[in-house]
Amino acid sequence: MPTLEEPIKEVKIVKNYIDGEWVESEGKLIDVVNPAKCQTIAQVPISTEDEIDAAVEAANAAFPDWRKTPPLARSRCLFRLKDLMEEHFEEISRIQTQEHGKTIDESRGETRRGIENVEVACGVPTLMQGYFSENIATGIDEWMIPTPLGVFGIIGPFNFPWMIPLWSAPYAVATGNCVIIKPSSEVPLSQNRLAELVEEAGFPPGVWNVVHGGRTVVSGILNHTDIVGITFVGSTPTGRDVIYKRCGETGKRVIAQCGAKNFMTIMPDCDIDRTVASMMTSFFGNAGQRCLAAANCVIVGEDDVFYNMFVDKIVAIASKIKIGYGLDESVQMGPLRDRAKKEKVVGYIEQGIRDGARLRVDGRSPKIIGGYPDTCFLGATILEDVAPDSPVGSEEIFGPVMSIMRVSDLDKAIEISNANPFGNGHSIFTTNGKNARHFQYNIESGNVGINIGIVAPMALFPFSGMKDSFFGTLHTQGQEAIRFFTESKVVIQRWF
Amino acid sequence: MIALHTASEGISFAKALEVESATFYENLAKRFPISGEAFLAFAKENRKNVREVERTYYGVITDAIEGGYCFDLEPNVYAINVEMSVEASFEEALATARGVEEKIIAFYSDAAVQSKPLMGDVPRAFLTLVKKREKRLSIMNLMLTKKEV
Repeated sequence: MPTLEEPIKEVKIVKNYIDGEWVESEGKLIDVVNPAKCQTIAQVPISTEDEIDAAVEAANAAFPDWRKTPPLARSRCLFRLKDLMEEHFEEISRIQTQEHGKTIDESRGETRRGIENVEVACGVPTLMQGYFSENIATGIDEWMIPTPLGVFGIIGPFNFPWMIPLWSAPYAVATGNCVIIKPSSEVPLSQNRLAELVEEAGFPPGVWNVVHGGRTVVSGILNHTDIVGITFVGSTPTGRDVIYKRCGETGKRVIAQCGAKNFMTIMPDCDIDRTVASMMTSFFGNAGQRCLAAANCVIVGEDDVFYNMFVDKIVAIASKIKIGYGLDESVQMGPLRDRAKKEKVVGYIEQGIRDGARLRVDGRSPKIIGGYPDTCFLGATILEDVAPDSPVGSEEIFGPVMSIMRVSDLDKAIEISNANPFGNGHSIFTTNGKNARHFQYNIESGNVGINIGIVAPMALFPFSGMKDSFFGTLHTQGQEAIRFFTESKVVIQRWF
Repeated sequence: MIALHTASEGISFAKALEVESATFYENLAKRFPISGEAFLAFAKENRKNVREVERTYYGVITDAIEGGYCFDLEPNVYAINVEMSVEASFEEALATARGVEEKIIAFYSDAAVQSKPLMGDVPRAFLTLVKKREKRLSIMNLMLTKKEV
């Protein structure tokens, strides 16, 4: 099958979007590489401190007027943005595949999930309503007004270049704040396309800014006294030890969504075919590079016949996954984002083998459709008899590796899942409601799946997370995002 | 041909069937002008179906769509044959059209069954198109009875 047409055809220098203008950075440029073809598709700047200051200044200047803009008018800007996103749906999706490597179906899924957040934020006129109590004492009334706070920084990761900033930005601007988005420097292009659509949708200059770069930009945002809050998605060490800590020191609001090690519990009464189909997506979709990807498959029970049949089935299907460039529609798994990430995953596989795990599917030398260089590609890998407290069984690998464990009963499955420091997205596959409820009640996980492979909350719900997977109080998406981006002003009134 | 597995492949195949059969009906309309209106209506509906299928697919997010394990369909089984000799009669043309429709009905029906557990709205859209096409077969029967030539 021929590959779909690439929207990015020439290498361009990525610009910052500050105060409604496209500005060339004075910072050093680094290459943005399509990981499937190992081809440079753009150059992105590491912006300077002055450029961050300029963006914050613009956002601060835009804030008073934007705050005054009625919520209904702000939501109209979002409605126009949503229409433009739909109009350019396919182009946006293909950009993600080009810059990240994921398959076109995965990119389209990501595009849709991003749009859904804009759709939810369009409801801001009702979402942002306060509340009122008459006569809290005789002749005295009291009410709460949610008010915006100012300028927020949004720091995105590499694995969902389009969607993740949209977990925050639409809610921030809908509630009257201004934003500075720092996309991952590995995948900056879909965020720039988004900013072009924001511009076309008619957002006033300074409300939505994009500043590219790496750690220097992150520290600039963290340390800037005019930034009132930050949302971050990335690794646990950075989220906990840098972002959360520094936001505490500087008095900023923070949402830090971090790493994961997700356990998928398989009960012997599960619907086998549907479970296996969900598992393939959960373990190997996005080449395992998602914080909600399943990592450990915990098979419950002492029935050897079920265990062997189930494992043989997943081994057979995983062995057939087609690997290649995501713009080839037949491809089921794309490359990892870069060579270093692949090498890290390979390191874990080798560590697992050294620690005594049995290698059932070896993805280290995959067959690649289309003859692309094997630099970043890795096939699906399945390790059996993995100890839950081993590095492979306990640490975040962020690659297409399934570690199979076997336990005697459901409580043991819950126990080993809860013993892990992360708590992002655990799930159970069963046809027994009692077991499902027992799991849901006892599992320590911010997002819980019952017969769901990827426990990704829809935009109406908070993208949750517990333990080492989340640092903060409120979460991105939905009502919680509205609360995060607003301060409660309470008025108590008496007239003499 | 290699089997179709991913959602993208399945949707592209559906779109290709609709477009190819639309062109076929546009040609029939030129060839049999007395029934031209009916054939052009079929072609117009096919192009509308392309938009419907695409819109439904773009609107649905599930594990299956993102992961690419939606179908296991052999495209050869559903390939349509729009070849006709230049001397083909109206009856022969309608027989070819019926063959085209039956193949497309088979594709949508099988694709709906395979994708039902995980894809929500897409199989529902496919089954709506099956119903439309079954209705179309009845119209063709009527055209044959009335011999609109």
